[in-house]
Amino acid sequence: VNGRPYELAVEPSWTLLETVREQAGLTGSKEGCGTGDCGACSMILREPFDPSRGRTQEGPKDERGRLVTACLMLAVQADGADVLTSEGLARDGELHPLQRAFIETGGVQCGFCTPGMIMAAKSLLDRNPHPAIEEIREGLAGNLCRCTGYTKIYEAVMAATRAG
Amino acid sequence: MAQETKVREEAKAAEYRAVGKPATRIEGVGKVTGKTVFADDMKLPGMLHAKVLGSPYAHARIRSIDTAAARSHPGVEAVITAAGLPPYKMNASNRRGLIFPIEEVLFFGQPVAAVLAADPHVAEAALGLIKVEYEALPPVVDPLEAMKDGSPLVRSAMHDVDRSEERGHVTVDVEQKEAEGKPSNIASQLSFKRGDVEAGFAEADCVIERTWRSAIVHQSYIEPHSTIADYDASGELSVWTSTQAPFYIRDELSQTLGIPENRIRVTATEVGGGFGGKIYLTELLVAALAMTVKRPVKYIMSRKEDMLAATPAPQAVVELKTGMKRDGTLTAIKARLVYDSGAFPGAPMLPGCILIGGYYKCPNLDIQGYEVLTNKVSVGALRAPGAHNATFAIESQMDMMTKELGLDPLEVRLRNAVETGDPLPSGQPYPSIGLKQCLEAIAGSAVWKRRAASRRRPNRRNGRAPARGVGLAVGGWMGGLQPASAIVCLNSDGTLNVTVGSADITGTNTSFQQITAEVLNVPLAMVAVTSGDTKTAPYAGMSAGSKTTYTVGRAVKEAAEDAKRQMLEIAALRLEAAPEDLEMAAGEIRLKGGVPDKSLTFRRLGRWTTNFGAPYPVIVGRGAITTSKMAPGFTAQAAEVEVDPDTGEITLLGFAVAQDAGFAINPLSVAGQMQGGASQGLGIALSEEMLYDSDGRLLNGNLLDYRLPTSRDLPPIEAIIVEVPSEEGPYGARIVGEPSIVGAAAAVANAVAAAVGARVTEIPMTPERVLRALGKINAAQGGAE
Repeated sequence: VNGRPYELAVEPSWTLLETVREQAGLTGSKEGCGTGDCGACSMILREPFDPSRGRTQEGPKDERGRLVTACLMLAVQADGADVLTSEGLARDGELHPLQRAFIETGGVQCGFCTPGMIMAAKSLLDRNPHPAIEEIREGLAGNLCRCTGYTKIYEAVMAATRAG
Repeated sequence: MAQETKVREEAKAAEYRAVGKPATRIEGVGKVTGKTVFADDMKLPGMLHAKVLGSPYAHARIRSIDTAAARSHPGVEAVITAAGLPPYKMNASNRRGLIFPIEEVLFFGQPVAAVLAADPHVAEAALGLIKVEYEALPPVVDPLEAMKDGSPLVRSAMHDVDRSEERGHVTVDVEQKEAEGKPSNIASQLSFKRGDVEAGFAEADCVIERTWRSAIVHQSYIEPHSTIADYDASGELSVWTSTQAPFYIRDELSQTLGIPENRIRVTATEVGGGFGGKIYLTELLVAALAMTVKRPVKYIMSRKEDMLAATPAPQAVVELKTGMKRDGTLTAIKARLVYDSGAFPGAPMLPGCILIGGYYKCPNLDIQGYEVLTNKVSVGALRAPGAHNATFAIESQMDMMTKELGLDPLEVRLRNAVETGDPLPSGQPYPSIGLKQCLEAIAGSAVWKRRAASRRRPNRRNGRAPARGVGLAVGGWMGGLQPASAIVCLNSDGTLNVTVGSADITGTNTSFQQITAEVLNVPLAMVAVTSGDTKTAPYAGMSAGSKTTYTVGRAVKEAAEDAKRQMLEIAALRLEAAPEDLEMAAGEIRLKGGVPDKSLTFRRLGRWTTNFGAPYPVIVGRGAITTSKMAPGFTAQAAEVEVDPDTGEITLLGFAVAQDAGFAINPLSVAGQMQGGASQGLGIALSEEMLYDSDGRLLNGNLLDYRLPTSRDLPPIEAIIVEVPSEEGPYGARIVGEPSIVGAAAAVANAVAAAVGARVTEIPMTPERVLRALGKINAAQGGAE
């Protein structure tokens, strides 16, 4: 998780979210619904590469990883994967451009959806570094925000695009 | 692509250095890095997790509860029912006064028992082992049926109804008449009369009468209700909870549990969205559980529990008759508003009754409000509680009359809009307000400017192609009033600490930083603001009713001015000058006119007031205020939609909000409030509805089937900040948080009518309701054409 190896014993029924929050002690990712509908638990997951099959479990190797709702994923399914959460975005005390942009444009209000929303935005920009507003609206549609009406979140993603 | 503009005199902007300019949230870094601690992120030594069993009936008598199997489940520490609770002052008439019902359950999902275990999975599993024997009673689900003579009663009789929480949201001096006499499901009634409505209808050239329906909607903060409580050996109760109202909770817990207020510490943890729904709900339960087991207890509602058993916003049925003269003058408003309160009183009927007759000068009013009980979850506040239900009715009907008379909807509204000094329906006069200015401002929005183009499109030629339309509506909110206080202290290094007792749910602490920096003329970074707990912070009312900046902000300004006065007194002695000849700039006190060597830094002053043997007392600025003057906030909103006449689907193309903020201390957060409130109003307009079956069971208690607006649904929202100063707010600021939710449903309905010529009278405006309004669905059968 966030570049640090964890060796954890987990119950088979534990979710990735519960494991990251309770076992790894990284509570930035939130549970808003527990059913994959709100996106507050969004993390970016890079599957382990299986050299014998020339692919990962999910398909071809993809350095960008994929956005997952960690409340719906079992921890054991993430065995061997690289997991990125909001706590792993800043480098050497420097905020990630998306984090800075969310603060500066007012894309952060209550802050509960923010960690997941920023991961969704990162996943979007990893695939499409210069999205149009319609592409941003499409790319963030799996993450609910109840405070901002999304306007300032669109502005944040646009600003990060320029900064990045 | 910044979406906000501001209507402000340039001279005024130049006057200030810190207020009136966009400031980023002081807690922003914690939130974007995932480091901010919410209640569910906390753990205490020995802490137990609570899971709660809800009633499977909307109305039933509890025959017996058998907890033996659950208690012997491995890992379970306790199973607690009504019988096992510590003694408390129960008041079954109020939701806040009842932990578990003893005899009668009144709504589907009402808590009846709790299991405590160190492992939340164990507690969850044990819930299924509790055996409750119920005797089902007839549920009353529909509010109009509930009002009828001969309806079964929703519940046993009520006494001693407490309306304190509602008064926090809107403080208007009106008495509600509590139910008396023959038992019925009508909890309270209200009536406003002015002039003679029948005479008003007689002189009208256009009279329209319709019934308007709105749904039960949920606040849907992304963080569910979350509470931790601990009761220590010395008899002190500590509560950490996601709330807008720490002092209110303290006061209520004190009265209900019999613990003095100075032995209760309520800490408002970071609130992951509240919107009026996080005032006081689970705290009494969790405190009682902690007192029972003498260990810390955490209870996090699941999303399903939160939807079943928190306090959503009410549905209402509004029967409205209005009259207008050919020239656009409004002549009469007659309204009957029925608010469904659920199983306990507390529906926000009063503000709806005020607003339905409060937007326009109208000589003749007859407004009747009814608060009706049903066997559904009891309701609470959602951002301008009760306002959207009434506004949907009056603002839809304003457009209908305007259209029938061939008039312009904006001009008619401007002609009738209330102004400073006009009476509210309750009789008291409006203080300074800016409704007209908002209407003038919305005319300049990009959305409204596209109206002409949308009217030129050959929309309705064949009734098949998607059609566009632009609609307008106003909204408003009176706001709450409550005393507030604040403390500003100078630290030994010259920086400043501000302490307040209000929970920061909208960025108010950032505004307090700006206010303090403005008064003392220091950079923002020299001011830190903390919301303390109820044992360390000076008192503040609940962060509700849009009043936090208006009231606590004024206290902060006073406290900063008090600190400034103390600092100048000391500086005057040291600099051998009169205090009025001194000024503050960039963390220094100096002689006006810039005399060299005649200055004193805040840092030096800090040391002189704190260090060993320091010659002067500590600088502690105190601000304490009360206010009796409202600072209502009005808004005008415009929506542009596209309607598919085949599917009934509405696509929102644009939305604009013009709102009077009095003075925007932080335009960034004011615009954010306007856009956020509008988005919630758009959810109410288009998709949000809690659906109950005829047995009173909620059918869509999750975020998949209860449809919140997503980014795909919402285009960027245009925010136009209007500034008509309030009389008492800091720098003229007035209430901001709530008004923006109010007009959206009516604006969208008016846009739909403009697009396809059909009038939808029920929100949310689902495709089915749009098709019905278009006459494409047979109303009786409900099937497709």
